Amino acid sequence: MSRNERKDPTSEAGNTETIAIKETVTAEARPLSDLERGLRMLEFLERGSWPSYVSELRKTKYPIEVYAEGLARKYTPWLSGSFRVRYVFSGILARRSRDGKYVEIHFRTYAPAGRFYSTSYLRKIIDVAEKYGIGLVELAANTGALVINVWSDKADEAVDVLRNYVSTDVGGSGDTVRELYACPGPALCEFALYDTLSAMDYIRRHPFVYQHLNNQLFPYKIKFKFSGCPMDCAMANSRADFAFIGTWVGPHEIDQDLFRKKVEAGEVNPKELAESCPSKAITWDEERRELRIDESKCVRSMNCIRRAFPAIKPGRNRKIALLVGAHVQAHFGPKLAKAVALLDSVEEAMPFIGKVMEAYMDYGASKHRIGDMIYKRGFKVISEIADKTLPSKPRGAPSTHLRISIGAVLTDDERKLYEDWAKSLVKEYFGEG
Amino acid sequence: MSLTISPNPADRMNKVLPQFTAQLPDIIRRNYGRWVDRKFHGNGIIEHISETGDRVFTVKVGLPPNSRLSTETLKKLLDIADNYGLKVIRGTRAMNLEFITDSLDKALKIKEEVEKLGFPVGGWGGALWSVMSCTAYLTCTTAVVDAPSITQVLYNHLKPYFTGEIELPAKLKIGVSGCPNQCAGGIAVDISIVGHYGQAPKPDPERIKFCIPTKAEALKTAIPQIAAVCPVGAIKVFGKPDGSVGIEVDDKKCIACGRCKNVCDYLDWDPNKIGVAIFVGGKASNTGTGPRLGYKVIPWLPVNPPEYKEVVAAVRRIIDIWRSEARPGERLGDYVDRIGVDEFIKKLGVPVTRHNRMTPQQWRYGLRQFFSQA
Repeated sequence: MSRNERKDPTSEAGNTETIAIKETVTAEARPLSDLERGLRMLEFLERGSWPSYVSELRKTKYPIEVYAEGLARKYTPWLSGSFRVRYVFSGILARRSRDGKYVEIHFRTYAPAGRFYSTSYLRKIIDVAEKYGIGLVELAANTGALVINVWSDKADEAVDVLRNYVSTDVGGSGDTVRELYACPGPALCEFALYDTLSAMDYIRRHPFVYQHLNNQLFPYKIKFKFSGCPMDCAMANSRADFAFIGTWVGPHEIDQDLFRKKVEAGEVNPKELAESCPSKAITWDEERRELRIDESKCVRSMNCIRRAFPAIKPGRNRKIALLVGAHVQAHFGPKLAKAVALLDSVEEAMPFIGKVMEAYMDYGASKHRIGDMIYKRGFKVISEIADKTLPSKPRGAPSTHLRISIGAVLTDDERKLYEDWAKSLVKEYFGEG
Repeated sequence: MSLTISPNPADRMNKVLPQFTAQLPDIIRRNYGRWVDRKFHGNGIIEHISETGDRVFTVKVGLPPNSRLSTETLKKLLDIADNYGLKVIRGTRAMNLEFITDSLDKALKIKEEVEKLGFPVGGWGGALWSVMSCTAYLTCTTAVVDAPSITQVLYNHLKPYFTGEIELPAKLKIGVSGCPNQCAGGIAVDISIVGHYGQAPKPDPERIKFCIPTKAEALKTAIPQIAAVCPVGAIKVFGKPDGSVGIEVDDKKCIACGRCKNVCDYLDWDPNKIGVAIFVGGKASNTGTGPRLGYKVIPWLPVNPPEYKEVVAAVRRIIDIWRSEARPGERLGDYVDRIGVDEFIKKLGVPVTRHNRMTPQQWRYGLRQFFSQA
């Protein structure tokens, strides 16, 4: 299908808009319109050394004039729209432009765990994006999903094609279980302490979670993230209502011979290694040429393991730390996760997860996350459930939530103060003008 | 591609979920969970070594802001993955792209090919890993400032840090979010740039009616959502004598968190007062002093598209201070904690007001809640 054949109302509106620009350009005496200023800004954004998203947008049928005008006005051009596809209750987002001329529909599609995409899978996605949409994707969206922009009149069919041809589905928007995310774990990483990818697949398919994928029954969204080791590449600890982070209890595995070899080869400086341990748990016995780790002091920072792997490895008694209540977007501001228990498998967490979801539906106020519910009702809302569902598991000592304000209402004087400081910085880095 | 069957729409109630196992190349399936070591080849190539002796190489490639790709460009990237890789690519958490292949020669070839298309390779070790961006004005209804364009100019300025031409003390992650919802990684990244209103919202006099009940009667049974979502009780919805409903926003109470904007489009603001706040020192990992949220060191900066000189200058100043003073391997947050956040603000030279006066924080989060320090 060529660009010209499209009969979508949005592209027709786009054509009239383009004609309008030409007219204003010829009238030179008039100041530039917002659209013209915006289009010049976009030209600037295409000139840098980094690959430009504007150049990518131009290769698609995205209504770039809408974006340009918004940029010039410092005002988002989109309003929420409503759009329904039969039997689909999550995963489709609709926007309309403020002037009412454009409609923008996009699908969030479920990704394979770890976001490994075979090229054949992505070629099918491309087919969908070109035949049913504007030829634009967001490959690594922050929710974990792959986003495809589609035409409104073809959205219904596009859903079936995604399901039956690509073998994925739309989903993960609104007050529901959002797309889950797992670090690549055992597929690529030697530090993975449990199978994050299978864990994500297991939980996404578990009836407790699966039954909610296509409804909007929660006060707000729920997110699951899976990190294979304490380095938390999935950012579970700061972004997931239910965070699963690989760890271990008991002593590290230390291969003293291999460690000595690394020291002799100059790969590791044992004194520096001991010095850099954040909890000062390491001592180096110069006489016996032996490394010792005081396990009671270790906080699992992975510092020594990363520097001296595989001479120092995580211990054999692997655990999965379950934490709850972290989020970025919420009523009482961003929060980090609170410790619940150390588990031996993700399966063990399911009764707990089911009960917490129920409590969230019962007690959570509208647009409050699970962390907000904890903030309001106290951690006992979680610990009581954990007592019942995870009776014999080692528990953590949860820290208190901080309350952080992201925005601020400034007075004109304060604004002036920061504006002046910014001006002096700009002068320093960009010179005069 | 055409459907020969006509599916029953009601089937859509049961979501189809993609299998990760079907995506993995054979060599990864064979060595699943058996990796024992890794080696770095320059800034953007990692060699993964398995106990079986197999080797796999990943090549990390920077993507355009917000990981937006046209299908035309994506096809070219897939051709590279088919020709020199293992027919698989991976979208990372930090909005980069990883190619996977089975020899160093092929990895270098992939690097050469993507660089020909204009895509940089890098982002591991002491480097800029990525600048994450939300969609903002591209599709979002709540965005205050436009994140992809800020990300674009930051990347243009900071590219040498990504490719490794200029070394950094440790990993650096930057997030640019258009509004306080912070869809780009939250404030648990080293430098988080968040757009915010800087002012209390003003209800659009004509259209705010779509967000409040029509009759004062209705207020007796339920608080309208627009008032309920305000965490500080700054939004008052009240019945007027004539039986209609009025709304007021208390400027003194408002913290410009944008929660109301999430549930109602018809709140307005002055584009000249919007700006970005910059948070410094957040991180997700349990390394160093542990996971933490960033400190709001710069509460407001003006946004001037398309060059955003103020934002770029501030970010470069933060990086310059860190580069010249941090110990090797010290993340920005660990450095700020070592010298003290007040000291850091002093070095930055940013004016201190009620918005960025810091109280010292104890960070005992993440796994550290299980492993207390003796």
